[in-house]
Amino acid sequence: MLEGAEFYFNVDHGYLEGLVRGCKASLLTQQDYINLVQCETLEDVKIHLQTTDYGNFLANQTNPLTVSKIDTEMRKKLCREFEYFRNHSLEPLSTFFTYMTCSYMIDNVILLMNGALQKKSVKEILVKCHPLGRFTEMEAVNIAETPSDLFNAVLVETPLAPFFQDCMSENTLDELNIELLRNKLYKSYLEAFYKFCKSHGDVTAEIMCPILEFEADRRAFIITLNSFGTELSKDDRETLYPTCGKLYPEGLRLLAQAEDFDQMRRVADHYGVYKPLFDAVGDGSGGKTLEDVFYEREVQMNVLAFNRQFHYGVFYAYTKLKEQEMRNIVWIAECISQRHRAKINSYIPIL
Amino acid sequence: MSGKDRIEIFPSRMAQTIMKARLKGAQTGRNLLKKKSDALTLGFRQILKKIIETKMLMGEVMREAAFSLAEAKFMAGDFSTTIIQNVNKAQVKICAKKDNVAGVALPVFEHYHEGTDSYELAGLDRGGEQLAKLKRNYAKAVELLVELASLQTSFVTLDEAIKITNRRVNAIEHVIIPRIERTLAYIITELDEREREEFYRLKKIQEKKKILKEKSEKDLEQRRAAGEVMEPANLLAEEKDKDLLFE
Repeated sequence: MLEGAEFYFNVDHGYLEGLVRGCKASLLTQQDYINLVQCETLEDVKIHLQTTDYGNFLANQTNPLTVSKIDTEMRKKLCREFEYFRNHSLEPLSTFFTYMTCSYMIDNVILLMNGALQKKSVKEILVKCHPLGRFTEMEAVNIAETPSDLFNAVLVETPLAPFFQDCMSENTLDELNIELLRNKLYKSYLEAFYKFCKSHGDVTAEIMCPILEFEADRRAFIITLNSFGTELSKDDRETLYPTCGKLYPEGLRLLAQAEDFDQMRRVADHYGVYKPLFDAVGDGSGGKTLEDVFYEREVQMNVLAFNRQFHYGVFYAYTKLKEQEMRNIVWIAECISQRHRAKINSYIPIL
Repeated sequence: MSGKDRIEIFPSRMAQTIMKARLKGAQTGRNLLKKKSDALTLGFRQILKKIIETKMLMGEVMREAAFSLAEAKFMAGDFSTTIIQNVNKAQVKICAKKDNVAGVALPVFEHYHEGTDSYELAGLDRGGEQLAKLKRNYAKAVELLVELASLQTSFVTLDEAIKITNRRVNAIEHVIIPRIERTLAYIITELDEREREEFYRLKKIQEKKKILKEKSEKDLEQRRAAGEVMEPANLLAEEKDKDLLFE
């Protein structure tokens, strides 16, 4: 229920909301994508990007221009914007930002743990970490000898600590498969984020909770789909499903029992929101995959978030949309550089 | 490599037989080597054709695989560091076997899988389908690469073998056999000459003998005419023999 957010939101967060709306207005439009698709070389892509908000971000790059350089520069730009928002934010928006960075932190931590277990040099891994997921204890990871040391000394201070406690006790850290660990952490993180948004109430809860519910259900579906044919047992699978979505509890139980795509589809048919998504999935090659459909729906929900004012969802939505745009540009650039234009139009259009 | 020499051997009938046998041996050897060279060339051509096919296919497969990598990156984000961090043992290994083509041992590489897929759960939360497709495409590319490697090593080995064999064939054909033939010709000419010498010598001796005989006959005639010659007793003439005591 609206608690008069419009009265006091602008005091603390008005400037940032205005800023983020301005940034959102400079996302690439359909026309920009059409221009990009018609480029012949990566140099053309660079020229086209100069006319957009990206400006001369590739100006200092030496020849030859590669797709990975474009990707790195775009990510740097996004990080700069994100850090700016974060540095200027006040509570509770700063906690919101911290939650957003947790997902990148989880990836980084998994990478670091892996590297520490295999005695790789920390410097190399630090370069590969996602910049948005930086936390201060990162360099200290190589001091820890065993994973439990890692947990006690390093991770306890980070915002990720409660998620680790949810997953497991310390001594099972190294036996678990890294992917399972990552997914368990992500599940705890999603649930915590959902609780935070819901407890904040107001427009934020109205916008963010559906988005997070969709994210949770999407993860459940994708994990189920990708675990067909692997050694992942049904019980293990069930422990990876986040419980903050619409599928909880009935749908998750049914999903855990599913053996193939059709059974999954039948579970989805019970929910009005997911039935049309599954119907839009083409079969085999040539049609859309389930993940494509989910990506499109996520983009839709993120764009709709901008229709309401005075909530934190705009920041989340902007970051996600910017990431999708980066992925689109990288996809188009790859298709151009590999001269494989058959699927160049398979990017996800945003605006 | 002078082309005018012959084997130094004393010309005799036995030498001639030996040389003939050697010539026969050289010719048989040359034919056998020619057959081997032809068989090797045939195999060579086949391998060449297969290499061309495989290389074309390789181009396609690599392109496909690189594109599926781009697709997977689009769906799943950047998973390259995770994958690289988790590498410990090779899953696809190669064992080398020997194949025999017309007497030439060619190495052949066979790949085999060892161990389970340690990246089975990669991309569990995003892009798993694309990652599976990517794995399949690159596995195909690796198999093709192994096959191409086998073919290329065989190609190089066969090339060497063919060169050596052809060199041998040419050596026998243009050096050994002419040399033996020249030796044979020399022996024959020597033998002929010797025969002619013998013949001539014989003729001369006969002449001399004839002259001697005529001279001794003349002598005899003269002496007989003078009555100095006593004929030896003729056993066939029916005269009484004084020495016989009992008759």
